[in-house]
Order: sequence, then C-alpha cells, then structure tokens
Amino acid sequence: MKRQASWSLLLIMILLVTGCAGKRELNELALVMAVGIDKGEGENAFKVTAQIARPADARGQTGAPSGQTGEPIYTIVGQGESLFDAIRDLSSISSRNVFWAHNQVIVISEELAKEGISQVIDFFTRNPELRMRTWIVITPEEASTLVSTVTGLELIPGEAVNKLFRYGKISTVAPNTQILDVQAAYLSQSSQPIMARVTLKEVMISNKKPEKGPTIKQVDLAGAGVFKEDRLVGILKPEETRVLMLFTEGLQSGVVTTACKDKPERTIGVELRDQMFEVTPHLKDGQISFTAQLDAYAMVVEAGCPFTIDDQKQVAELEKAIEKELKKEIDTTVDKLQKEYKTDVIELGKVFQNEYPGYWNQISDNWAEVFPTVDIKAFVNVEITDSVLLWEETNSGKKENSAD
Amino acid sequence: MKVQISNGMFFALIINMIYAKAIGVTQGSMAREIGGDIWISTLIATVQGTVIMSLVIFVIRRMPEGDLIDQSERLFGKWFGKFVALITFIFFLAAFGPIMSTFIFHLKDYFLPEAPILLFICAAFLIGTYAIFFGLEVIARMALIGVFSIIALNILLMLGTLPEFDIRELRPTFQMGFIKTVWASRHHNADWAMATIMAGIILPMVGDKKSWGKMGFAGIAYGMVFVIMWPILEAGVLSPETAAQYIVSCMQMARSAQIGYFVHRYEMIMVAFFALSMLTQIMMSLLCASVAMQKILGLKDYRKVIIPTALILSTFGYWINFNKNRAVDFLEGWWVYISVGVAVVLPMMILVLGFFFKKKLKKKIVAEEAK
Repeated sequence: MKRQASWSLLLIMILLVTGCAGKRELNELALVMAVGIDKGEGENAFKVTAQIARPADARGQTGAPSGQTGEPIYTIVGQGESLFDAIRDLSSISSRNVFWAHNQVIVISEELAKEGISQVIDFFTRNPELRMRTWIVITPEEASTLVSTVTGLELIPGEAVNKLFRYGKISTVAPNTQILDVQAAYLSQSSQPIMARVTLKEVMISNKKPEKGPTIKQVDLAGAGVFKEDRLVGILKPEETRVLMLFTEGLQSGVVTTACKDKPERTIGVELRDQMFEVTPHLKDGQISFTAQLDAYAMVVEAGCPFTIDDQKQVAELEKAIEKELKKEIDTTVDKLQKEYKTDVIELGKVFQNEYPGYWNQISDNWAEVFPTVDIKAFVNVEITDSVLLWEETNSGKKENSAD
Repeated sequence: MKVQISNGMFFALIINMIYAKAIGVTQGSMAREIGGDIWISTLIATVQGTVIMSLVIFVIRRMPEGDLIDQSERLFGKWFGKFVALITFIFFLAAFGPIMSTFIFHLKDYFLPEAPILLFICAAFLIGTYAIFFGLEVIARMALIGVFSIIALNILLMLGTLPEFDIRELRPTFQMGFIKTVWASRHHNADWAMATIMAGIILPMVGDKKSWGKMGFAGIAYGMVFVIMWPILEAGVLSPETAAQYIVSCMQMARSAQIGYFVHRYEMIMVAFFALSMLTQIMMSLLCASVAMQKILGLKDYRKVIIPTALILSTFGYWINFNKNRAVDFLEGWWVYISVGVAVVLPMMILVLGFFFKKKLKKKIVAEEAK
C-alpha cells in the first residue's frame, strides 16, 4: 500500500516538474526588435508597428541571407482602441506568437506624445515580458515609418538603434532615455520626463548611385522631447540637449567649438574631459535660487588657427572664450525650460527637496508654478591642460603662405 | 532518536524564513506608506524583531526540552497546551497566505502568466509535504545552501544595479515623519514574527543550547544585512515611487538590472537563487503547522497529520491568492496584525505566567526528569 502511494506521488510529481506549463518554443515566436506607436484611425485609437526579426534572413552579421527573402525584418501594423487591442491585432497577422522580451526600442510619434503617453508608460511597465532598459524615443515622423526603415550597420534596424544609443554617449545630442527613467520621472512629485528624439535624415549614399549624394534616409539622434506630466510640450535642439544631460546624466565629456580670436572665420575645437557639474540650492527669505557650477579640464583637439599650449596668454583667452560659450549654452537652455516650456526636466525640484525638505513640503504642490520663477546662476570654469600630440603651432614652412 | 539540528542550521533557517518576502513584497508595502525611507523602517523592524526573538529564546531556555506549546501545557495543563497549539496553528495557517502570495506573485506574474494558480499550490503542497516527511534536518540543510544562494543573488543584483544607483532618492530621510516610519515597520515585523514563532517551535531541536542566543542574534544580524541592501537599492535605482508602484518591487528591480549588455533580465537569476528561501518558508510553515496540529490532537508523531494540515493550508493559500486584491489586502492588513499580535503576546504571556508559576513549572520539570 505504502509503495503504491509513493509511486502515485512520484508520478504526480513527474507531471508537475516537466516544466511544460506555459512553455513557448523558440521557433514559434515572432521576436519584436522595435515597436512604433502612432495615433490610430479612430478617436483615442492606437496604431502599433512591430519590427519582427526574420531569423532565417538575419543569420550572421554580413553573410548572405539564407531565408531567400533578402529581408531580415518583417514589419506589421496593428490597430486598436487600446495598445493591448492593437497588439492583439498583430497576433491576427503574425504566423508566430508575438514575443516582446527582445524589444530594443519603443518609438512614439510626436503627434501622439502631445496628447499624452500615460497609457504607453502604464502598458510597457505593467507587461512582464518587456525589459525596463528598453530605449524609448519620440519622433516627428510617423513611428511606423521610422520603425520600418533599415538603418545602421546592423542587419536588424532595432539593434542598430540600440547601438546608436549604447555608443552614442560621445555625440551627446540625445539623452539616453529608457522606459525605467521615463516611468520614474512620470511618477515623481518633482521631476518631469524627457525622451530622446530621433528623426530620419538623408545621410547615406547609395553604392549604386554615388553621384546623387546622400539620398538614403537613416535614423538620426536629434535632441530631446520635453514633457509636462505625460504630454510633450517642447523640443530641445541637440546643442541644448548637452546642457540637459549635464543636469540629468552627469555628462563626463563634451566638445566645444569656438571662433579664433584673430581669424573669426576659423575655429578651434576643444574636448572637455572630467566634467564636474554641481547644482546647489539656496533659500533666503522665502526666495529659492540655484547655482550651477561646471568645472572641466579641456584639451585642444583641432586648431584652424595657430595654437600652442606653450602660449599661456592664448590659452587663457581660449579658456575664457569656452567658458563664455558654455555659460551661454546653459543660460539659454535653462531659460527655455523655465520661461518657454515651464517644466522641470532638469531635476531642480529633487535637488531642492533633498536640501530643504521642510520648505519643499510647503511648495511641492505648486512647484510647477514656482519653477519658472526661480533664479538659476551658472558658473563655468575650464582649464586647458593638454594639446594632444602637438606642441608647436601648425604653420606652413613657406613663410609667405603661413597660416598667420 | 530525536531529531537535532546544528546551531548553524538554525541560523540559516532564520535568514531564509524572512528573506523571500522581506526583500520585495514587504518593501513594496512599506514604500506605499513612507517612500524612500523603507530602509530605515527595515532597520527599525529588525531591532523590534531582535527583542521578540530574545524573548522567545529566554522563554524556551527555562525549559529547553519543550517548545512554546509544551511549556504552556506544563504550566496550565493539557487544554491550555491545546489552546496555545491552536493559536500556533492559526498563525501558520495565516502565514501560508502571504507565503503563497510571494511564491505565486514571483513565478506566475513574471514567468508563467498563463499557468493556473492551482499549479503553484500543488507544487508547494507536493514539495512541502515531501520535505517535511523527512523532517527538520532536511529542510535545515537546504536552508544552509539557501544562505549561499542568497549571498550570490545579493552580489549579482548589486553588480547589476549599482551603476544606476542615485543616492538622492534616499534623501531626505524621515520624509513622512518618524512615527509613520516606525508604523510602517510593522510589515517587516510580520516577517520577523514568522521567524520568531518558528524558533519557538524548533529551538528544542537545536543542538547547543548555550549558544542559542548567540546564533539567534547572528541569524537576525545576517538576515538584516542580506535584506537591507534591497530597500536601499530599490529606492536608489527604481525610485521610491516606482518601488511603491509594484506588488513585488524586488522583481521589478531584477527586471531593471543588467551586467554589461548580455546579462540582462535578472528575473531568472533572481528566482533561481531565492527559490530555496521561498521553499524554506513553505516547508517550515507546513512543518510548524503540522506540529501544532499534532499537539492539538495529542498524537505522538506529526507525520500522520502532514497531509490534512497541508490540505487545510493549501486550500487557504488558494482562496487568498485567487483574488489579487484579497491577497494584498490580507498580507498588508490582517496578516500583519495576526502575526505581530501572536509573536508579541504569546511568548510574553508564557513568560509572565511562567514567572508567576515558577515553582509549579520547576516541580513538573523535576518530576518529568525523575520519570
């Protein structure tokens, strides 16, 4: 009897430990690599575009496609009154089960973003299949067009956009916004969300018709979208985005180009390194103000006019010119955010709350009205410490043709 | 031969008994009340847990051969013993609800959304009953391995999330006030209550009686060290508002962690490493409930009541978790009051009664020893 009971128990356990519950076979999955969200045809409707990898044709990095279609991606569009509806609609088109875990980027059209994206944030943070480190961007184009554009060196465009962000820290023209950051800023009492902005730009030259110049559109990082709660209220240009990233991402490096003093038609390029940026809040007689201090070391990476680091007078003048340039950039961007967009995407509320929690409790509900009125003073200190490989000025050996 | 476990195993059981629920479900509940101060509340609860654990160790030391139920029986006879056994049974019955919630919320919501709740209940039933049939020693040995997997999980999570850590999210402290922060600690106190009442049942089976206190404190201290990392990272990486948004905030953090570009989606790593802690909670609550049931019925061996006890607990676990609203309401409401109430009142009552009826207790012990 005991033996029978043990065997029965064992058999039941075998059924349970097979791991078959909820199984999904790899060859039955449609792996979504990028998703685009546009406004749908009806009122409050969504249009979801999914870029799905075609595994047989996406094999290898540069090898010839083996699936015989020559297309490494398969892009389909679903419509619905909710995102879930639209995604369900995709299932009626795709021959495989749509699988979101490998999605690299969520692209939202600016038209939709202006009307509010709380539903998008909710859907993508509620769904267990999606990664929280997925990039989230806005685009002035149709999201479906951007998602279906073959771009970059990778076979899968979604992977190309992923790498554009991953290795795009050097360009500093768009913030690295992931769904995790957008969700945290949206839920925050003090900060507002920002999102990277991408566009399509004719920058690629066809190998077959090189004489026509750049005619093929590629995905291009193009600044940032500024939100107030869940609505897109403005755009920051790439050069303004660099300032934004100082506040939000602790940017370590950057590039500044300034005109030569003696020859304004020529420029000197400087790379900023080891940037240290600190925002300090102040409270005096109920007046809130902030000081933003940027300290950086710099190296001259390019000189259109003669330059040597040995000439300390020239170095000091260049340092001043860069400081002026950077201060202007900071002031312009902060002014735009305060006066034009009136939204705290630079986390000043959070900084103030940390320093003055008691006073913050009094003003937190009105921070949106207080933020545009606070005084923000920027101070910049740049020290040129390096001129890379060159010591002497780059001058022509023929005196009569010399650059100076 | 009477089952005995080493002090190290006892130490491991304490850590495993609190870990699985404390790192995520509890932190989510606390974040909804006090935001970024969850780590302070966790520390406060640990201090309170230490006091209650010391109390239980002190009470059991008076009569090291018997657990809380045996001691009650010796104080006021069979029926009082049965009453305390019934209270203990109800405690572990109630505990099984949040324990199964933790098990189901992690596995079903993040991995197997299509699987029926019954599957998880059956799996817990089968694994739990199978393990406790072999006794405490088997569970305790597993718990020892569980401690190593907890360490591995903590290290991996730390590596995967530290680059995103923002200390500003932890400031300012006591945002909601000191009283609210202390009050929120009740959620983590409920976790410590489970470990405390478990100690009240299994301490007589722990080998070296002299170092009970030392190992108990070591268990609490290490438990605190392993748990405290989570509220700090959850607030600093996810932001307090995001941690509050989720029922299981630790899984949300696991979803957000990655090392390099290839090791992402930590959910699988997390579940693999914290499974032993989860299973220890299931097994120990089934074991302690079975021992309580055995003493209510006056049986010599708890093995005879394993199946009926597990059926009762599983039915309750299924009913509670069938509706998520009911499950969260219970673990944030009734369970907190039941667990903290029993963990404080029961040992305190036995301590006070034992103090007043010291002579009677001594007489009984001497008489039993003479037998």
